[in-house]
Amino acid sequence: MRRKFGPLTILEYICLVLLAVLFIFPLFWMIASSMKPEAEVYNNMNSIKAFLPSFHPSDWFISYKQVLTRFHLLGYIINSLFYGLCVAAGSVIINGMAGYAFAKLNFNGKRVLFGLLLALLIVPLETILISQFTIVHKLGLVDTRLAVILPALAGAFNIYLFRNFFMAIPAEIIESAKLDGANTWQIFLRIMLPMSKPAVATVGTLAFIGSWNDYIWPLMVLTDKSKFPIQVAITAINSTEPVYTNQVMAVLTISTIPLILIYIVAQRYILEGIGGSGTGIK
Amino acid sequence: MIKTGLKGSKTVYTFPGTEKEAKNRIKWRENVVAYTFLGPALLLLLLFLIIPAIMSVYYAFTDYYLLTPDTRKFVGLDNFINLFKDPIFLKSLANTLKFVVWVIPLQIGAALGLALLLNKQRKANTFFKVAYFSPVVMSLVVISVLWLYLLNPNEGIINNVLTYFGVSAQPFLTSPKQAMFTIVFVSAWQGAGFQMLIFLAGLQNIPGDVYEAAQLDGMNKWQRFIYITLPLLKPTSIFIFITTLIGAFKLLVQPMVMTQGGPVNSTMTVVYYIYQTGFTDRMVGYASSIALLFGTIIGLVTLAQRKLVKEEDD
Repeated sequence: MRRKFGPLTILEYICLVLLAVLFIFPLFWMIASSMKPEAEVYNNMNSIKAFLPSFHPSDWFISYKQVLTRFHLLGYIINSLFYGLCVAAGSVIINGMAGYAFAKLNFNGKRVLFGLLLALLIVPLETILISQFTIVHKLGLVDTRLAVILPALAGAFNIYLFRNFFMAIPAEIIESAKLDGANTWQIFLRIMLPMSKPAVATVGTLAFIGSWNDYIWPLMVLTDKSKFPIQVAITAINSTEPVYTNQVMAVLTISTIPLILIYIVAQRYILEGIGGSGTGIK
Repeated sequence: MIKTGLKGSKTVYTFPGTEKEAKNRIKWRENVVAYTFLGPALLLLLLFLIIPAIMSVYYAFTDYYLLTPDTRKFVGLDNFINLFKDPIFLKSLANTLKFVVWVIPLQIGAALGLALLLNKQRKANTFFKVAYFSPVVMSLVVISVLWLYLLNPNEGIINNVLTYFGVSAQPFLTSPKQAMFTIVFVSAWQGAGFQMLIFLAGLQNIPGDVYEAAQLDGMNKWQRFIYITLPLLKPTSIFIFITTLIGAFKLLVQPMVMTQGGPVNSTMTVVYYIYQTGFTDRMVGYASSIALLFGTIIGLVTLAQRKLVKEEDD
């Protein structure tokens, strides 16, 4: 029997703690620096004070007030929320509908289209950014909110995920709903989606996070600052003279808060979506 | 009236025409319904994925300049020939490979190490898990900007700590030699926490009695790790390896925000170069040829992953 606190256990704990410091100190520094006057940010770099907010609680939110008046920060956050919610809701409906067709409906060309869908999983999106932009340009959508939302809606992986979920719903349930006079649309909205809450939550959450974090695409299609999502605004703010560290850290902190909340609420679905599917893409 | 009826029940058709016509009509209706459901997704995929992908392939063989679309002409393989004479492209290819080669072992090794450390009953585990996972919650833009401040050569906290311990201050992102390695570190730091959770799930799927049996057979801890843990973790590892590999090839945001590809192109990556030539310089044709070449490589890697995963499952 091993003793409860052998030297190995202590070594383990030292490793665990040192690694925890390595991974979490930037987050602490970001929050602490946003909660102190600019002059204090680079003082005491070698003491624990670097990771503590100002000792005067009245100083804590000064930088936040400053960035909120200097920049249209609230507008950028609302933009990001708007894009994220549209993409999340749209992804669930549009990919859910297509997944339903693949799982439960009969139509000509099903095998071909499904093969095409699987093939689309391979296309690396980053390499077709330029021709995606030329399409948006030809559609006259450059510098519109639609240009940010539309390309993010349909996704081969999400259709595939919904299809797999819907396949598991027994045919008897659908048949009995049909007997009760439900049409296909009602079956989809009242039976398929409610019975697939994990899939809805996974696709919705990941779509929101993806949209919230997206940087390069909105940077390409938007020129009007008032339409910028927060990620694009961050780099714009970080290069608007005069640059104050505490203000930039306040912006970074504000932009991270929604994500922290989402990860707390929906952590289960996020993991199932990417990690849990483990060998998901087959 | 058509009664589509139940499977197996005798359907009664009360409209004129043969039974075959009725079946055709039902089939047609089924098709209309199904394509209504597929419609929005198909249209969007066509517009923003399939057509751009095909256009990319076509543009790769033209001299398309975004501002003068009318003078676009077919140039055969010229773009590809120029590509291999273009020092910045070759540099970006080398940089991307350098990033891939370094970030894969660092990030996956860190993820596996963290998972092994946490794969044990411990009261404080949740705290450690949250700590290791915290960088995942921040966006790439946020971590890039944040590390820009942490790594500031003069005032940054990293150099302050280094000098405190007697190590001379480092230039990090401002040095052509160190910039890419710095981006490797920041990327691994950000991504490891997520893969740690996937590894942890894989580890917890290994049944405990396998270890007990091995212990009875006299295997020590190290042997159990080599002969039981690692082989049983293979499917998880392959999945993580391939997804990290594909992600690493697409490196873009970190160099874009942190170094703008510099200093002296030392952090210019292929996807960044596609963006620069195609979007900033508007040379759509040339950018498309890079995209086609590089997209094919990534596509093949993804395809290999499917094959590997399938074999694992059989």
